[in-house]
Amino acid sequence: MSGEPRLIRKLTEIPAEDYYVSGHRTCAGCGPALGYRLVLKAAGPKTIVLGPTGCMYVANGHQFLSSPYAVPWYHTQLGAGGAAGIGTAAALRALMFKGKRKVEDVNVVVYGGDGGFADIGLSGLSMGLTYDYPHLLYLLYDNESYANTGVQASSTTPFGSSTTFTPSGKVKAIGNERLKKDMALIAAVHPSIGYVATASVSNPVDLVNKVRKALSSGRPSLVQLLAPCPKGWAFPPEETIEIGQMAVSTGMWALWEYENGHFRLTSKPATRRRISEYVMKQGRFSHLWKNEAALEYMQLSVDEQWGYWEEMDKTGKIILPWTPPYQG
Amino acid sequence: MMSKSSQVAVQKAVQKRRVWTGARSVAEAVKLADVDVIAAYPIRPYTGIMNALATMIAGGDFYAEYLVCDSEHSQFEVVKHASAVGARTFVGSSGTGLVYGAEAAVVTALGQLPVVGIVGCRSLDDPGNFGMEWNDAFMFRDVGWLMEWSKDPQEALEMTLVAYRIAEDPRVLLPHFVALDGAAITHVASPVTPPTKEQVAKFLPPYKPLHPLDPAYESVSKAMHIAPSLIGPEQRKSIDAAMKRAKNIVIPEAWKAWGDTIGREYPPFFEGTQMEDADYAILSMGAYSRNVEYVVERMRESGVKVGSLRLKYLRPFPTEELVKALDGVKGIGVVDFSYSFGSPGNGSVLYNDVRAAFYEAEQRPLIMDYIFAGGREMTIPELEKSIQALIESVRKGRVDKPVRWVTVRGEDV
Amino acid sequence: MVSPELEELTWLAIHGRGVINTAHSSQIALTLSQAGVAAGREAFYYMRYDDSPERVQLPFIYYAVFGNPRIRVILPEEVEPVGSVFDTVAVLDSSLLVKSTSQRALLMDGAKKKASLVVNTSLKPSVILNLVRKYGCAQDWEGKIITLRAKKYGQNIALGMTGAIAKAMEPLYSIDDVVESLESEGKTDSVDAVRSAYEEADSLDVTLKAQDCEQYKLKSSLGEAKPFKGAKGWWDREAYMSLKERAANAPTYEQRIEAMPSWEQIAPALIEFGPKVSERNIGFKTSFARTFRPVIDYGKCVNCKLCHVFCPDGAIDYEPIKVNYEYCKGCGICARVCGSKAISMPHELQALEGLDEEEFLTIREALIEYAY
Repeated sequence: MSGEPRLIRKLTEIPAEDYYVSGHRTCAGCGPALGYRLVLKAAGPKTIVLGPTGCMYVANGHQFLSSPYAVPWYHTQLGAGGAAGIGTAAALRALMFKGKRKVEDVNVVVYGGDGGFADIGLSGLSMGLTYDYPHLLYLLYDNESYANTGVQASSTTPFGSSTTFTPSGKVKAIGNERLKKDMALIAAVHPSIGYVATASVSNPVDLVNKVRKALSSGRPSLVQLLAPCPKGWAFPPEETIEIGQMAVSTGMWALWEYENGHFRLTSKPATRRRISEYVMKQGRFSHLWKNEAALEYMQLSVDEQWGYWEEMDKTGKIILPWTPPYQG
Repeated sequence: MMSKSSQVAVQKAVQKRRVWTGARSVAEAVKLADVDVIAAYPIRPYTGIMNALATMIAGGDFYAEYLVCDSEHSQFEVVKHASAVGARTFVGSSGTGLVYGAEAAVVTALGQLPVVGIVGCRSLDDPGNFGMEWNDAFMFRDVGWLMEWSKDPQEALEMTLVAYRIAEDPRVLLPHFVALDGAAITHVASPVTPPTKEQVAKFLPPYKPLHPLDPAYESVSKAMHIAPSLIGPEQRKSIDAAMKRAKNIVIPEAWKAWGDTIGREYPPFFEGTQMEDADYAILSMGAYSRNVEYVVERMRESGVKVGSLRLKYLRPFPTEELVKALDGVKGIGVVDFSYSFGSPGNGSVLYNDVRAAFYEAEQRPLIMDYIFAGGREMTIPELEKSIQALIESVRKGRVDKPVRWVTVRGEDV
Repeated sequence: MVSPELEELTWLAIHGRGVINTAHSSQIALTLSQAGVAAGREAFYYMRYDDSPERVQLPFIYYAVFGNPRIRVILPEEVEPVGSVFDTVAVLDSSLLVKSTSQRALLMDGAKKKASLVVNTSLKPSVILNLVRKYGCAQDWEGKIITLRAKKYGQNIALGMTGAIAKAMEPLYSIDDVVESLESEGKTDSVDAVRSAYEEADSLDVTLKAQDCEQYKLKSSLGEAKPFKGAKGWWDREAYMSLKERAANAPTYEQRIEAMPSWEQIAPALIEFGPKVSERNIGFKTSFARTFRPVIDYGKCVNCKLCHVFCPDGAIDYEPIKVNYEYCKGCGICARVCGSKAISMPHELQALEGLDEEEFLTIREALIEYAY
């Protein structure tokens, strides 16, 4: 999309057409699958989609002769999301410039997970964000783990989360001892970045608008999309939307955007709910339910973090937040 | 205002011989081929190609999208994806860098995208070493890349050009490496006659993928996850068939067409010197074949019936043609800049391929392996000594020690 | 594609729902394999690898295989064994009785003629028989149906099911072998529950004739392949779509394999074609994922589109709002987000057959054992 993005105000303005159609082997209640549907609805038919390896590759292509993608789609390697997007965009520009293809706006969306973008593909993603190709969106669906391989920790797995690589036990009680890495802030620090945002599948109107803004920003962009995962986070699949809403209402997940160097929060809960409510609803935190020290630390971390978010919202500038390590 | 004939004369003069490094020559080929997307990342000794291309683009000599990548892995992924959209692409690397991009390079071949790439052959780490070995390229010999060795900047240029036609042919659709033996070609300048734009236009059609990844065409889904009970061997077999079509049809066709364009003959798979009545053949690839030819010439002067055979294509390996060309030869010495630790007979890679090629031959000559490992350059006396050992073995009727580490100091156990 | 070497072995196939029943199934399989070993057999167990990674609600199968005395061949991980293979079929979620899955068309496909069917259900064996006759069988069957309410024997339904399956599989191993196995795992406090289940499970001898089965009457063949139309010998969009349709309509996995193209027919680089915009993917329908289904009360629905928007599977049509049950997985998000409380979630057996199945594990209950 070129020029001004078509922003919406109501849920009923979300297009009815689906470019990621029904018929895939995703979990019942899968947050990333919902994200795929909404992101592609926002992007529209003139889109090329790249799918790094992960749940959104393997679960969507089970067996053979079963594609659910109604737009051109190509697999890419787990760590190759950045290069895949930029290579696709560069080809389009070269072909248009040389008259080998009609000149028009074509979106390129790389729909990759946190494992691929925050870990193995961080280098390539960073490279992609330094270029100036328009209509290129790196959509990071964050289910806070390497889910397809059976739920292992990634660098966006939150503190205290149980995964098969970070289980809780007598000796190591916390589970995942590392703090969640903020990929959106990392993207925002790239010089001359046009648009970066965070989003949640529980806020679809906000998500659609952010996708459209990103694709019209004139430069490569990143949206980090919180996509709750019933299997990995251990909650009943009917609660996917509630979990997403709770992540926002407790402040565990801040919704913001950074447009041409200007920061603003797009959601400001008047009072934040206690994070223990969020933690209690997910089995991946069950070993912490009685761990007062850990819960206190998690609440304090969120409260401190919000000091920074509010300051950034007031000044419109990004300030580097810092979370003290856990002393428990 | 120049007369027409003067203009033609000037043009002919411009097309006269230049003195170019292999790096500069390959860059010329990329320009002539009207490549659309280039992905660059520095590593010695191939980097000069990318430097030359950057200068050309910056100066307006030609236009291509030029991505400075964060790693070789991204480099190879960039061109793979650009190729899927329908862009003609160019990439390259050397040594350990090539290995860093291995995942992407493998997927490019198994995904059948006609990327053309340069390997500036260089010794693998560890330790760091700017010497020349072939193992970097050999890491990809099984997965579907076509691979060709050039002997000098002229050939590097022409092979790069012809590679586009072969790779992009709908009967092939496989990526194509052109190997330059390290600094011996990339960094050493020698006389080159570049082809003209008109010659290339006559020879090289534009790249037209069957199903581009582009919403202007129908929606394709490429490389979906599959269940092997449904489809698995079939996909591999179709690559096998493409490689066979490359060898049997497309490679000979392309080099014949190129020969017609330029006005000379190009044997597509290998080139023999003094092979007509040879009892002994020295088989090699790449730049150091010059030394082999030199030694062969000298030995011929003293009456030894030795010939040299320079292999160009390693993949597809021209088995039948090679066996036929070496029919009647009593002993083959393979000059091999590689190692293959623990392989059958503890031989090196090219040697093992040659041995396998001869397994079913009616007449199997004796085969010896001259290993030039570790990047140390070969000397003429060492080569002569190795060939003497072959002659001795043929006289005895057997090879006592088939595998020899020619350049190593110390006992060759 | 019959597998005679596999028919020599004794097979237990445990059908469960992904994530919810995984721990149960692996526990059952482990305990019973060890029982088999205690009884002098060689025993292997594994989840079918093609079901992995398991997804919430998506059916999977755990096999426990017993040799007499040895198992000499490699057991199939991807394609299910066909022929007369399964001695016991165990079902942890009764909604699986009325489904076809991605590989087996019918629940009793591959079962031996004298197979036992063990079901976790509150329904009587005779009712189960009727469901099998209607949905799950197209062959002669002279076996047993064993039912129990597994929750009665502990929050972990693996215990009850272990006892009931032991009843089905004796004398291959005895309940004492099972007890020995439990004790060796340090699970002495589970022994009573398993024994009680073994003693109390309901059993019914059954005889079913193929021609009385609904699916036998409906069972169709693959159908003729259309002449291949692709240009240059390999497929184009038209040829690909006709292959896709034929494969999708194949009644069994065996027949789906039959419909697959030769290598000459696949386009270079394995290019496939996507569906049209909003056209649902016929290559992978997912009704087998449901234990419950959403039912919309149109008296209460205000057409707000929330359910359409929030369905991860896009299984609710936009206009008019309507559930497509071929693709709905029964996750329940629509019912939760509906602002008018217009969506209820009855059990599949209630919706399809008016049956009051009371034995089901809510996902919350399953996760309490599995994750909490």
